[in-house]
Amino acid sequence: MSQQEALKWFADLFGLPPATITPATTRTEVLTWDSLGVLTLMAALDETFNIVANDADMRALQKVGDVLDLLGKHGKLT
Amino acid sequence: MRFILVDEILEMVPGRHIRATKFISPDEDYFRDHFPGFPVVPGVLLTEMMAQTAGKCLDAENPVRGKSMLAKINAASFRDWVRPGETALIHGEIRTSRPQFATADCRVEIGGRPVCSAELLFSFVNMEKFAPGYRDEILERYLATHQPDAPLKSP
Repeated sequence: MSQQEALKWFADLFGLPPATITPATTRTEVLTWDSLGVLTLMAALDETFNIVANDADMRALQKVGDVLDLLGKHGKLT
Repeated sequence: MRFILVDEILEMVPGRHIRATKFISPDEDYFRDHFPGFPVVPGVLLTEMMAQTAGKCLDAENPVRGKSMLAKINAASFRDWVRPGETALIHGEIRTSRPQFATADCRVEIGGRPVCSAELLFSFVNMEKFAPGYRDEILERYLATHQPDAPLKSP
């Protein structure tokens, strides 16, 4: 998956227009990235990419770029 | 109105799948309004039936994790009416079960006819939050008479 595809995946997950999401977008800028958003992201990482993230992993995700880094770390980004 | 929307668990492998039933009594108060002359079970109650059923499958898997609570309805479809006097057969397939969340694919059938389905996301709430002595009698009744097909997990 390319970075662009990953950004679209993230935007779709949070119900946002892809054009509004960049690696620099922070958690506080994504209104739906609340506690339910964290669970949604955790489930999507698990079921889409087989990435089982723990609570500490999720707390470390503070911007979209962190999510991209996590995907990259698990070899999911081309 | 009590909010217990599962009568009986027919079959369950904790953390994997479950089948349960719910008889739709013609005496349900909500039929007076939903709708006069055309009584049908509201979709929100069908969704809750699926959530309660899948929730029991999760609660049986790992009671120490906390009680499963519906967190998100990812997709729900309602294909046919459910009428008074019918018996709903509720299926739950647990897709993923982790310490923090679980997902399940659920559906309801009436006499073999599919009436609704949903993908549900669950979170877990510590049992200390609930009233002392709170128990799931439907689940306990099933577990008292059935040996779980899969071992219960430790926390």
